[in-house]
Amino acid sequence: MNAALASLAPTSASAMALISDSPVEDRLATAILTVAAESPDRTAIVSKAGSPGRTITDYATLAARVAKLESQLDAARPIGVVARVQTPESLVVLAAACGRQHVPLAVLADDAGDLAGELADWLVLDDSLEIPFQAAGPKGEFETVAPTIWVATSGTSGPPKLVDHSWDSLLAAARLSDQWHSLAWILVYDAKRWAGMQVWLQALLTGGRLVVPAARDPDVVARAIAEEGVSILPGTPTLLRRLISSAEPALVAACGLERITLGGEAADAALLANLAAAFPQAKISQVYATTELGEVFRVQDGRSGFPAIWISRALPGGARLSVRRDGELIVQLSRDTAEVATGDLVERQGDRFEFVGRRSDVIVVGGAKVFPKRVEELLRLVPGVAEARVFGVPSPITGELVAAEIVAEPEAGWEQLRSLVLERCRESLEPHCVPRVLTLVERIVTTSAGKVPRRR
Amino acid sequence: MSSASSAAVAEAIRSVLRDTGRTAGPLEGPMTLAGDLGLDSLDLAQTVVILERTLGVDPFRATSADAGRPVLRTFDDLCGIYDAALSELESAQPDASQKISEK
Repeated sequence: MNAALASLAPTSASAMALISDSPVEDRLATAILTVAAESPDRTAIVSKAGSPGRTITDYATLAARVAKLESQLDAARPIGVVARVQTPESLVVLAAACGRQHVPLAVLADDAGDLAGELADWLVLDDSLEIPFQAAGPKGEFETVAPTIWVATSGTSGPPKLVDHSWDSLLAAARLSDQWHSLAWILVYDAKRWAGMQVWLQALLTGGRLVVPAARDPDVVARAIAEEGVSILPGTPTLLRRLISSAEPALVAACGLERITLGGEAADAALLANLAAAFPQAKISQVYATTELGEVFRVQDGRSGFPAIWISRALPGGARLSVRRDGELIVQLSRDTAEVATGDLVERQGDRFEFVGRRSDVIVVGGAKVFPKRVEELLRLVPGVAEARVFGVPSPITGELVAAEIVAEPEAGWEQLRSLVLERCRESLEPHCVPRVLTLVERIVTTSAGKVPRRR
Repeated sequence: MSSASSAAVAEAIRSVLRDTGRTAGPLEGPMTLAGDLGLDSLDLAQTVVILERTLGVDPFRATSADAGRPVLRTFDDLCGIYDAALSELESAQPDASQKISEK
């Protein structure tokens, strides 16, 4: 552990300039090769962190794999490559090589198998990253193909679909200034989805160290953070909530996190307060981003929602926010682009707009709307409740009915807890919002994007 | 209160009333669901969910496509609907009754 920390010397100013001045599609390969030339044995990726099977890939090894794949791609010129890889190392190498060789790359998550049909003529590569000597399939024209990267959406708001991104949009949120160099990042997101790609791109573009935990188990994640000296944790509120409520307290206390970046879901005030208590040294920021739009804004003041004065004025990145009459947040990235309905519903509360839920999450009970996020927030405040998920179940009588899954604290008895939960709900919620189906569960399932699913 | 489902229906209603902070007296066949027992549509919807778990049938889903809805005013009406659904299920799947009696 200490040896790994010691090798994290800062990148030189000339190397940093070389990276940030390179064309966007070359940038990842340039960063890996530049850092490898300067400090070859610097750790790039720690895999299976937090477990005895931990493995390390240094920048020199990564750079050699990129160079080898680049020369193979240059010879084969496939019209596109489909990444069917399992390890983050392979994905990084593929992205770097395909970017600089102007070969479009489709990054498919494990559950996006049926999407591959759209890419029938593309070359499929697995973790070996070996291109068959004479690759079958049509060849692309050198330098004429626009370098793109295709990413499957998380499917929170519908079936996963492939979205093509330019390298410009993929790297738009990456920060390359000094203060972001040579840091250790933990990847708790799926490496093949937008949010996860942002993490490994950011880490490897800045000579940093990417720490990939062996499992999403809270103890493993906490151990990986503590043992690998991770300073930045990007994650969803669901993942963070589980980390601080379920991981061994001694492990959580040993985490020297300097920054927590919440994204993917809206964070509530209770979680923000709990995070501030668990990680007093950490700056907490909330990122609002979608796969389609990329990052739109960041909230850094430690409060939930966003300032109401942000509506209808240009934000630092140039985006404009507006709220439709029904409460849906609308984003216009720049004056030349169309307005995009985000599917997120917000509500003015004092000087803030708070997120009340996604349009598609709304449960309709006898014609009345229920926002599951609100009910979940209330459930989590009941003593004895460790975690909760609220969703709709179909009912022939009222259309839908509110259902809740609850993870109990170890010492809480279920019958007593169930009564207490119902009592609290009756006190604070309208009758149609009170969960009618309560189930005790061991743990709340999350989607591969680390979010809470809203439909049964 | 002698029908096949009345005990299960009564227990389901009692647990709905308990969950909503009310107490249940004895349940009599002619009692009206809305007036005497104070069950609103949400309560009824919850009762149906519970009975789907305990009896393995949801007669309301099945009848929703039919022309007319069955009369549903009293506790007896509700039990009758479940009895009919259970006997239909029994004739469709011979071992269904066995499954229920195990509960």
